Amino acid sequence: MNPLLSPDLLRRLEQFQLLAQRRAKSATKGERRSRARGHSVEFADHRTYVAGDDLRYLDWNLYGRLDRLFLKLYEEERELPVRVFLDASESMSFGEPCKFDFARQVAAAVGYVALCGFDRVSVVPFPERAEENVVRGALRAVRGRKSALGFFQNLAGLTASGAANFNEALRRGALEARRAGLAVVLSDFLDPDGYEAGLGALVGRGFHISAVQILAPDELTPATYGDLRLVDSETGGQQEVTFGRYRLAAYQQTVRNYCQRLREFCTLRGVNFFMASSATPLEELLLKQLRQAEIWG
Amino acid sequence: MHFLAPIAFAFAATLPVVVVFYLLKRKRVVKLVSSNVLWRKFLAETQASAPFQRLRHNWLLILQLLLLALVILALARPYFAGKTSGGRLLVAILDASASMQSTDDDPSRFELARRDVLRLVDSMHDTDQMVLLLAAGHTEVKQSPTSSKPALRRAVQSCTVTDAPTRLGEALKLAQPLVRDRADAEVHLFSDGAIGLLEEFKHEGLNMVYHRFGKRAENLGIVTLDVRSHPDDPSRRAVFVSIANASTNPAQTDVELRFDGQLVETRPLKLGARETSPLVFAAAQRADAGIFTVQLTAKDDLAADNQASVVSLLPQPVRVLLVTRGNRFLEKALGAVSSVGLSVAADLADDGAGYDFVVVDNMLPTVWPAGNVLAVRVAGTNWFGGGGATNALSGFGVVEAPPIVDWKNTHPLLRFVNFDDVGIGEALAIKTPPWAVALVESPSTPLILAGEAGRRRVIWLGFDTLQSNWPRKTSFPIFMANAVEWLNPATATAAQLLVRAGDPVRLTLAAPLRSPKMVLPDATERTIALEPTARELVFGETQRQGVYRLITGTNATQICVNLLDPAETDNTPRAELELGKYARIRATTTKQANLEMWRWIAGAGLLVLLFEWWYYHRRTA
Repeated sequence: MNPLLSPDLLRRLEQFQLLAQRRAKSATKGERRSRARGHSVEFADHRTYVAGDDLRYLDWNLYGRLDRLFLKLYEEERELPVRVFLDASESMSFGEPCKFDFARQVAAAVGYVALCGFDRVSVVPFPERAEENVVRGALRAVRGRKSALGFFQNLAGLTASGAANFNEALRRGALEARRAGLAVVLSDFLDPDGYEAGLGALVGRGFHISAVQILAPDELTPATYGDLRLVDSETGGQQEVTFGRYRLAAYQQTVRNYCQRLREFCTLRGVNFFMASSATPLEELLLKQLRQAEIWG
Repeated sequence: MHFLAPIAFAFAATLPVVVVFYLLKRKRVVKLVSSNVLWRKFLAETQASAPFQRLRHNWLLILQLLLLALVILALARPYFAGKTSGGRLLVAILDASASMQSTDDDPSRFELARRDVLRLVDSMHDTDQMVLLLAAGHTEVKQSPTSSKPALRRAVQSCTVTDAPTRLGEALKLAQPLVRDRADAEVHLFSDGAIGLLEEFKHEGLNMVYHRFGKRAENLGIVTLDVRSHPDDPSRRAVFVSIANASTNPAQTDVELRFDGQLVETRPLKLGARETSPLVFAAAQRADAGIFTVQLTAKDDLAADNQASVVSLLPQPVRVLLVTRGNRFLEKALGAVSSVGLSVAADLADDGAGYDFVVVDNMLPTVWPAGNVLAVRVAGTNWFGGGGATNALSGFGVVEAPPIVDWKNTHPLLRFVNFDDVGIGEALAIKTPPWAVALVESPSTPLILAGEAGRRRVIWLGFDTLQSNWPRKTSFPIFMANAVEWLNPATATAAQLLVRAGDPVRLTLAAPLRSPKMVLPDATERTIALEPTARELVFGETQRQGVYRLITGTNATQICVNLLDPAETDNTPRAELELGKYARIRATTTKQANLEMWRWIAGAGLLVLLFEWWYYHRRTA
């Protein structure tokens, strides 16, 4: 039994296919259209015959009309590499429901849709954790629908702990990728050093990016009032706060402003941005929001 | 600049409190959160770790300290010694008479009145002055004119109610010179109006405010009490009592008569609305002296007049010495008085100590008597000033056949005495001395004088009775009977032993007393300081009614102090008082209430300032 996604949801996800706005650049054959010419049923162009070309691709109808030899070129269908950047830092382990659980569910859904479309899926959890190397290695490159079960199990084996460097993780992920493809970033985007450099590196590498910001309900509407000393779970930094109901609206405005700045940053760079509370129903995000944004269809 | 209330500078202690508030940070609850990023963005300005922070330049702090300093300065009431027009003069007259004890107001009329006087004190302006007079049997100046409210409050608190009747005229006469020629002076009378008549008082445009107290008159009271020989049975005593009902409803009560604490008789009594009813009790008295006490058992608003006591002394024969060359009329008239044991002598060799009084008839005795005297055409030393004229026949002019034009028939000596047909051959011409009153007058000289000269009662006749037709008239023996009653020292003693509350106890002393003590009805003792040569004892602390005991060595004398005042017993609250013949004042319904509130407001300002800081701190911490 899959702990991350229900069978019903899986069945509905099978109907989707990732919509890549860019041509697949992978070297591996797949089911994606690519700029590369090759053997498929999709006609792409004609080319003048030169000696040595495969005679099987000559367009004999054209030869009959024009008395010249042309070759019919077909699109080569290749795979779409899908990289899921999963924030597995300590801060993701907070929230009720837990932000990390929600992020894994989204990652599982994206991965399942990709696997169903014969695309290659890599999940990149950050920060690095030596004790999870086996699981993480298995998530590095998954292909084919048959691998889905193992994919889900490995995903469920991940844990969130430690302090992450968001920018560094995304920059390294961008460099490691041999071919750009679809990138899904699942994080709370609450890194003290910001998120701009990391997302910029992915954009520069040519990824088609979808960013999903996951915040816990308690972060959107804090329920603890009074004189507090807040300790950051990742950095250990302390913050003294006197918080009451009368300041809730001001706090929520701050959160909205923060999310709005992130959204504007993404929109300017052609990044799809989604904001979701970890309490949001998964179907709402997967079947409505991502579909409307034409991540898949 | 000076300060009226420098104690307010104690509030300066709050200045460091404000600074400490700025320095202080509060204890916090530690909470682990996913990330501080959002909070830091939200609350960048509040980061601190120590309980105190460095005092930063803060305009809010400076303004608050400035405001606080100003408020404290204001509370200290600074002033410059300048000249301003004086404020009002308030004369508060607080009625402390017995009727103010009435409990129809809760807790009593007097307590309410005192509360209102305090309210009036509170409402005074800084430049106003107040005099506090406590009016009861006597008027006491509790506080001379002052603006000091603490002194006035102390004076008001020290006022106590008495069992004495109101002598409001005295208080008003005291107030009058204070407020004369001052248009801004006010006389505030705090009373229930049960004050008797004030006819002799001249109003003279007093600016008077009458604060009335009391709601109703539910009171029965004893208004007169006397004890005498029983007219029908000389071996028994008759106690005469009058009981008044002040209420407009009929009332009934039991009247108890006790003798030295033993119940003698209980008699039920019904009284109609505003009725006064006399009662006569007859009782046997075995001891020479004792106390009859009359008590009303019914509950009413005023308890002070429900009990009265009187000292009863059994009558003793009156020993009279007549010193005369021969006057049968006088001898028969004196001898006819029932209780008199008469002795007649041609001259007096000693001072007549063995007699109750001496009659000196138209001759100069060898030794002048020391006790009370009825002197006929003869005078004691210095009776008429100057000259030392003691001889009946020398030093005085003579008036031939003086006509009798006036006599005082209200005086006890002239009770039932008529001088209509009395003719006099000749009389000595004198002027009425200050110690005596003229009972019978002719146009040129007084004919009969009575009074007290040197603590002795004296009746002086300016003419020889034998040279008039008076001895043949019926008025002569009546006058002599009255004279025996009046000159008898026992009568005076009995009168001295029955005193109205508020009046002083005055006892004539036969011999000097050694360390006399007075025991009050509530059993407290007062030592009376008395000079060895004193001939009279005066004790003024008779504000409460009851039996007072004068203890001198092993002897004890009992003195009864009673209210016995119809005006106080009638405790009906009066809406209108008559002052003199023409003026009336009505009770005020509105009360002045310009209470000073700036202290409270300034105090509230201080609190608001401190609260404001706390609240600000709470919001921004």
